[in-house]
Amino acid sequence: MTPRQRVLAALGHREPDRVPFDLGSTKVTGIHRIAYARLRLALGLPERPPEIFDPTQQTAVVHPDLLEALRVDTRGLASGNPAAWELRFAEDDRYSYYTDPWGLPRRMPKEEGRYYDLCGHPLSGATSPEDVRRYPWPDPADPARFAGLRERAQAARDTGCAVILGGICAGLTEMSLWLRGFENFFTDLASDRPLAEAMLDLILETKVRYWERALAEVGDLVDIIQEADDLAMQQSLLMSPKVYRELIKPRQAVLFAHIKKQAPVFTFFHSCGSVVGIIPDLIEVGVDILNPVQVSAAGMDTHALKRDFGRDIVFWGGGVDTQRVLPRGTPREVRDEVRRRLDDLAPGGGFVFNSVHNIQADVPPENILAMWQTVQAYRG
Amino acid sequence: MPSLLENLAQYVIEGNAPKAKETTDALLEQHVPVADIVNKGLIAGMEVVGRKFKSNEFYIPEVLIAARAMKQSMEKVKPLIADAGIESKGCVAVGTVQGDLHDIGKNLVTMMLEGAGFEVIDMGTDVGPAAFVAVVKEKGVQALGLSALLTTTMPAMKETINALQEAGVRDRVKVMVGGAPLTQAYADEIGADGYAPDAASAVDKAKELLGLAA
Repeated sequence: MTPRQRVLAALGHREPDRVPFDLGSTKVTGIHRIAYARLRLALGLPERPPEIFDPTQQTAVVHPDLLEALRVDTRGLASGNPAAWELRFAEDDRYSYYTDPWGLPRRMPKEEGRYYDLCGHPLSGATSPEDVRRYPWPDPADPARFAGLRERAQAARDTGCAVILGGICAGLTEMSLWLRGFENFFTDLASDRPLAEAMLDLILETKVRYWERALAEVGDLVDIIQEADDLAMQQSLLMSPKVYRELIKPRQAVLFAHIKKQAPVFTFFHSCGSVVGIIPDLIEVGVDILNPVQVSAAGMDTHALKRDFGRDIVFWGGGVDTQRVLPRGTPREVRDEVRRRLDDLAPGGGFVFNSVHNIQADVPPENILAMWQTVQAYRG
Repeated sequence: MPSLLENLAQYVIEGNAPKAKETTDALLEQHVPVADIVNKGLIAGMEVVGRKFKSNEFYIPEVLIAARAMKQSMEKVKPLIADAGIESKGCVAVGTVQGDLHDIGKNLVTMMLEGAGFEVIDMGTDVGPAAFVAVVKEKGVQALGLSALLTTTMPAMKETINALQEAGVRDRVKVMVGGAPLTQAYADEIGADGYAPDAASAVDKAKELLGLAA
């Protein structure tokens, strides 16, 4: 099987010749720059100056030599930035700062900093839907975003791997929380629906227009599209299933239906945390692939997930617990954990291997290699 | 017919700030003791909110509007609290540890502790060990709440506990830890006094550690 055939078999719920493996194809299945540099060293690959794939999470661009060395079956594709924006950093004595294309300011501690985190919420003062609609918003269909995209898509397709195209921004809920401020938007959800809905509609329209243009450009060269929205935390959903079903789910349905109308792609949806209670809803709105399958969150046991939902949704992730085992376990514990997850998730296809979310800076390379070797050796 | 105090608790639970404030005013006009307004109205309401949060009946939005109703009503009685002779349950300093800028979980814990009658010093995010030592020395807090979202910043909790030891103040304060990647096992490993899996349980844990009836 070619890597692409392997992935497509898995996505079609057929068991491929071996478990397909992703590293670095998306902003949520990658590796932090510090762990990446160590992994290259451990693999005996030449040192390379770090290239940052996602500035916020400080994930690395995974170079072709490593993709080939680890037989990665997927290739990521990302659109570019709007013409009016460029990445510029500022700093004071404690932090390094930048503002993203949506006007969201972020900072990272200069000492021991690992990520940029939000440090302001430009719509925190909004009191009406009009305030939201007046916000200076970048054009999702800005041609600058798509310059060279087709050539890069063709090059990705020519590797023989499955191609996955990233979205334009974070999720409906996430973007709303970030722009309004967490407490403001959560409060909106409970007590100011018109404002909450104006926020969600702004993000939805952005996404719809982006996917229209992006898939017109490269829909024939892309196998999977990636969307995200963190809807849960360690123990539960962020909002009640009722609020999710009233406000978020109908917009997800519009989004995924629109995407599928543009091109015959698989839809990959990322949400951290304990999302078990809304997996049937996600299936209903057209999610084909669930990521990251946070196995340490409440109710996210891989055996039960596969039994209950494995016929209807593909799991892309959940290959190893990353809150304890991957960073802090021994290589032997990593092997045991990976084998257990493979036994749960791999039978019958419907599974693409990734850890749970990006491999973080504190993960030793011997644990990454223990994980990878276990996947490669696995034959059910 | 429910009493006005029961109404107040109910408005806090529903997150109805205008009605909660109105009821607080009415109770004050009727010269209901401030201690009753606080304990049987506001804190009683927030206790129910905490229980509903733990049992997944309430989620973050409901907790936030309840805390808002509690807080705005509390503002009305605050000037009277000192005279009323209500003792604070204790003073807890809460902060997200060094290198970590996440604060939603920490803010929820702060609200829940305040809602239970604790005095809370919110130290913000990216708080270094020295600042935690200083707050213990200078403010005499009885408990510290350390928060971390990231596996990469969890070690800063251990460093904070070490700093408390080196400064000779470890015995003066109970240390509670929480955050998505935290577990009881990790709390034990780093020598914390307690761990709580969610913001409502953090209140129970604080009461337990400070020897207050749960």
